[in-house]
Amino acid sequence: MLELLTISKGFSMSDQFNTLPVLAGVHHTARPTWKLRETIEFYRDKLGLPLVHAISARGWPEGHPDFLHFFFDSGQGSTIAFFYYIGTEKPEYLEPRPSHFYSATHTAWRVETPDELEIWRQRLEAQGVPMKPQVRHEVIESLYMIDPNGYMVEITLQLRPFTHHDAEDASRTLEAAMLLEDELKRTGNSSAFDCIDSVWQNKGRELQKLFPSSEGVTA
Amino acid sequence: MSVSIFVLDVEEFRPLVTNAQSMSGVEVLGPVNGYIKISSASFLEFNRKSLGFKPAVWYGALTGGMLGRVTEFGRDTLRIEPELR
Repeated sequence: MLELLTISKGFSMSDQFNTLPVLAGVHHTARPTWKLRETIEFYRDKLGLPLVHAISARGWPEGHPDFLHFFFDSGQGSTIAFFYYIGTEKPEYLEPRPSHFYSATHTAWRVETPDELEIWRQRLEAQGVPMKPQVRHEVIESLYMIDPNGYMVEITLQLRPFTHHDAEDASRTLEAAMLLEDELKRTGNSSAFDCIDSVWQNKGRELQKLFPSSEGVTA
Repeated sequence: MSVSIFVLDVEEFRPLVTNAQSMSGVEVLGPVNGYIKISSASFLEFNRKSLGFKPAVWYGALTGGMLGRVTEFGRDTLRIEPELR
């Protein structure tokens, strides 16, 4: 009966489940904290993000510490969340490190205009928030700050929309890089993929096919 | 042998194209499928300040791809020469 009903509506159950699922943006990202007061004062008071939800619970399942889990509103329905595990000590492997590997894990919030980015910069400076230099990247301009836990947080302005050319270029770049990674894994030879130039060259050889070979180079 | 770089036809990399158009012995083709090809029979050299690039964009200037080898990529000078055979 179900099959008949779905056919009569012009689609089947399998069509429904073959449709790519969609996401509607970020609900929350979450990190552990061992600095409850400083974290709340930083996000709620210095940044001004409303504290919108908190859970306090006995640890479950067995062995899980009792905990607090709390959320700050970061706009457009998104939140940034923290866990505070009661009676625990921060493990050594979560200590902040002066490493790109460590700061690679970060949250970046969006603002819509250059004025908003400037207002944020002024607010953060006025609040004495530790900041890194403002950076103009290819398609974004960003402020960077360090929260009391040592986590990096970014506020960014996208300077132009992504286009289909960006997406196609991203695929070309990463296809070229994955081939090099495959080669590295296959040979175990670190020189197979030890600098970005190889990616650029692989990509260049593919792109060369798009341009007519008869067109020479002006001397 | 020659050298080429491929520049995605987007605003942030456009100075590479406008710079190249004023260089003698340099050919600029395209865009084809969103890429502009900049070629020279001998070498290509760019200056960061002439391009108006901040460091983050400068060090990604070849992300479009290249035929050749980078022989200098300092704070202000990028030079690409033919691959060695």
